[in-house]
Amino acid sequence: MKGRWKAIAVLAVAAAVVAVVAGTAAGAHRGVSSKSAGGTLNIMGFGTNGDDVAKNRTAIAEKAVAPVKVNLPNGGFNEQQFLTDLASKQVPDLVYWDRSYVGTYAAKGALMPLTSCIKSQHIDLSQYRQAALGPVTYKGVVYGIPEFFDVRTIIVDTNVADQSGVTGKMLNTQNLNTLKAAALKMYKHNGGQVTRIGFDPKLPEFFPLWAKIFGVDILSKNGLVPHLNDPRAIAALTYANSLIQAQGGYNAFLAFRNTWDFFGGDNQVAKNQVGAWPMEEWYYNVLASVSPNVHVAAIPVRNHIGGIVNYSTGSAWSIPKGAANTAAACKWMKAMTATKTWVTVANIRKAKYAQNHQYWTGLFTANSKADAIINKPTSGEPKQWASILNTVEHAEKYSFAIPASPASAEFTTAWTNAVNRVLQGQQSPKQALDQAQKEAVAAIKAATK
Amino acid sequence: MSGFRERDTWWAYAFLIPWIFGFIVFTAGPMVWGAVLSFTNYSVVAPSHSVGLANYRQIANDPYALLSLKNSFEMTAIYVPLEMGLALLFASMLARLTRFDGFFRTVFYLPVMTPTVAIGGMYLLMFNGPYGLVDQFLGIFHIPQPYWLTDPNWIKPGIAAMLVWQVGANTVLYLAAIKNVPQQLYESAAIDGASAWRRFKDVTLPMISPTLFFTFIILTVYGLQVFDQIYTAFYNPSNAKISSDTSLMYVIYLFQQAFEYLHMGFASAMAWLLFGIILVITGIQILVSKRFVYYEGEQTR
Amino acid sequence: MTSVSAERAGPPSPDIPPAALGPQRPGWRRGLPFAKQLPFIVLLAGFSVLFIYPFLWLVSASLKSRADVFNNKLIPSTFVFHNYVKIWNVAPFLRWFGNSMYISILAAVLVTFASALTAFTFAYFRFPLRNFLFGCVLATMMLPSVVTMIPVYLVWHHVGLSNSQIPLWAPNLFGSAFYIFLQRQFFMGIPRTYFEAARMDGDNYFTMFWRIAVPLAKPALIVTFLFEFKAKWNDLMTPLIYLHHYNQYTIPLGLYDLLGVYSPSAGGSGDYEWLMAAFVLATIPLLIIFAFGQRYFVRGITLQGYKG
Repeated sequence: MKGRWKAIAVLAVAAAVVAVVAGTAAGAHRGVSSKSAGGTLNIMGFGTNGDDVAKNRTAIAEKAVAPVKVNLPNGGFNEQQFLTDLASKQVPDLVYWDRSYVGTYAAKGALMPLTSCIKSQHIDLSQYRQAALGPVTYKGVVYGIPEFFDVRTIIVDTNVADQSGVTGKMLNTQNLNTLKAAALKMYKHNGGQVTRIGFDPKLPEFFPLWAKIFGVDILSKNGLVPHLNDPRAIAALTYANSLIQAQGGYNAFLAFRNTWDFFGGDNQVAKNQVGAWPMEEWYYNVLASVSPNVHVAAIPVRNHIGGIVNYSTGSAWSIPKGAANTAAACKWMKAMTATKTWVTVANIRKAKYAQNHQYWTGLFTANSKADAIINKPTSGEPKQWASILNTVEHAEKYSFAIPASPASAEFTTAWTNAVNRVLQGQQSPKQALDQAQKEAVAAIKAATK
Repeated sequence: MSGFRERDTWWAYAFLIPWIFGFIVFTAGPMVWGAVLSFTNYSVVAPSHSVGLANYRQIANDPYALLSLKNSFEMTAIYVPLEMGLALLFASMLARLTRFDGFFRTVFYLPVMTPTVAIGGMYLLMFNGPYGLVDQFLGIFHIPQPYWLTDPNWIKPGIAAMLVWQVGANTVLYLAAIKNVPQQLYESAAIDGASAWRRFKDVTLPMISPTLFFTFIILTVYGLQVFDQIYTAFYNPSNAKISSDTSLMYVIYLFQQAFEYLHMGFASAMAWLLFGIILVITGIQILVSKRFVYYEGEQTR
Repeated sequence: MTSVSAERAGPPSPDIPPAALGPQRPGWRRGLPFAKQLPFIVLLAGFSVLFIYPFLWLVSASLKSRADVFNNKLIPSTFVFHNYVKIWNVAPFLRWFGNSMYISILAAVLVTFASALTAFTFAYFRFPLRNFLFGCVLATMMLPSVVTMIPVYLVWHHVGLSNSQIPLWAPNLFGSAFYIFLQRQFFMGIPRTYFEAARMDGDNYFTMFWRIAVPLAKPALIVTFLFEFKAKWNDLMTPLIYLHHYNQYTIPLGLYDLLGVYSPSAGGSGDYEWLMAAFVLATIPLLIIFAFGQRYFVRGITLQGYKG
């Protein structure tokens, strides 16, 4: 008995030791940071996730930085991990993230200014769209190289529109009354439940777009002065909210929207569950791939004086301060966003689509030179899809973005919460935006202390 | 009691060293450090500065902090009576059974074994307004079907319902307590002609009151700090856009402040405030219960 | 030379009322006619359906195609077993499973024995400051976890381990107040004569602890292990704070992440059916240990509450 227990005890201790060692080894994996400055490029936030465009660009960029070894762990940008890395001074050489992060981290002093990098690599800044450079430029210094450019246009389910007697002209955001009438024409309900949404204003996400339609930027160009409770912003929110209230009220509206098979073959366009709504351009690609036989059209968003507006967002590459291999990082950024790179991978994708008989709906790169070459309809493309491509490409010229700000997360949270409060009927638009304005001002003040 | 000279004492302290180390490094030390932090503006990436009572003042002025506190209180006020009542109901019924009680006990306990993240995720899908399972079920009885995820009036009751799915744990607890009531008390009450309800009220309840009191405190503390299910259901990236002010619970806001905005000083102040509130509430509960809790050997009230 | 310990003694009678160990069959209740129980059985059956139905719904949803996943039909019109295959491919679910397993087991084993040593010490030894220190244990039990959450993170951060799995199990090396409290009850119920006998045989204190106290407290140790395993398996907050590398995630964090990935409004593809399969897979280990250790869970709950 004594011997057996002793043996068991020894085994248990041994097992525990093994487990501890294994756990320590696994747990101590610090991830992206590696100290060999000459030989490795550690990139955070660009797990390729199977996208062919990403894979092909990666291959090109890897060649450009050779013989430096590239370390590309899976997974998207993880802010908490980045903060930990910053605090422990073991930063990756390059981060790939949404452009909205750049201003905040530049303000914190966590990013390396890219001026010397741009000069040494001869990166031509003029090839990038203004609305893409804005969010990555803080206090006049560029801290990020942009890529990808979301274009928001109005997707129209033409079946639904035709059925309800709604023309494209009626879906013009310049004429708000006509738009509302058109929305109500296409709206269908069964008792208290919504069975078709006429026009979905996409709140809270597209609030900046609605503010711009009404003629105001919710954040000043220098990123320091919010205008959330400008009377035009309040009017924008009032109007967009009224659309939802008129189409079943927020609860029924949202519950119905949540039932859509958004990415599947039975999506809301295929099943005629929506009339029109503003959306990022990549959704046309989804439609073309899962339900190519739908009848859709693209209409640009227009502001109150009839000009086209596009609320744009996208990604960027930045170099954290204290990165080891900045030379390779610069080379990588240039290669990833070069015109030639984009054109090459776009051609590969176009060929693939042609093989699968999938319609070409464009690739929007934030590089205007590349866009001009890439985003032309392919020969033999049906008129519907060619027209969509042309509309989207044209709208890019009239883009705006939220400028770089030292407290972008808090700013976004402030207006998102305000819009939600209004949608749920807890505050009036003026009350909600007044509160958001106060919060945003306080956050920016705290971040610039 | 031995003194420090005895060998026994040295052995005892030797055995206690792991716990003592852990207590200092993970409990006592952090408590003190947290209190100190609450008077600074530490944010991990920048050096720390003392700010005196600014954090506490900020809590008083921050609409979200106060709102989240109010939300937590309201939700707990719905959750605790609901959970205790249901657990007591089920336990009383189970106590009367001679067969199947093990089966039912297992059934009620199964949800306790479900990961809280899964519960939060299931909540999103089952309580999705009229299209969710719950409302369709209610629809069979023509009960109005609330929008559990978006209607501010129904978010907290919905959360309480989600938490109460795990009532099995307390049911088992109350069941054991009820079964521990000496039979003679019931028999003499029955002989005196007491009805079932009176037997319950005057025998069962007082006899299990220590357990009831214990769970009253534990559930209140739990309710004020609940995180997993609510964070999963209302604060994952997919629906952060529709997250309502009504679902913002205190610990969730604390977590966001600490780990999403890195306002460590402010979050520490929030943590200590909650600690103080819990101490006060627990103190009140203890005082109030002195009148109602019956311990064996004491006089009845 | 064998000791006169466990062979001679027979099972101990720790100071726990037998009723707390599980359901009883009180004598006088046998007389209660089945007819009188019937209404309660029916009521309970009704409630049971309510409580079990979400599980059924979950399993059924996990076997549906994407378009059907919300149709709330109990039996899927077409069974899509492929969801259970797909989920392993779309995320490193196997790694997450492994991570959760090793962390939960390691944490549970460590806390069981660390708490046992501490609990035994409080139960057996008499030493100055004993009551004060045990008061500290009690105080730790009542402490809300949020109070120490941030400073503990900063502790790990300053030793450079705030981005690893170690903070998830390492604190268990030092015991945990709740289990110390629970186990002390058991240890206190072991008659001191067993220990005297062992000491006379020449055992040192540690051997005495290991060879006498531990086997006799087995129920409490098993309860501790199972409870801690379940707690670690389900924990979301700690992994949220400390795990930032995708492959290091535990199951709750992975599920939380998948919920964000597969929700349409997050830009995900809405493949909820894979998510449902993931939920089922995440629950299965707990159901297994519940099936085997059910009476220990019940015992553990009642021990917790009874002496509370």
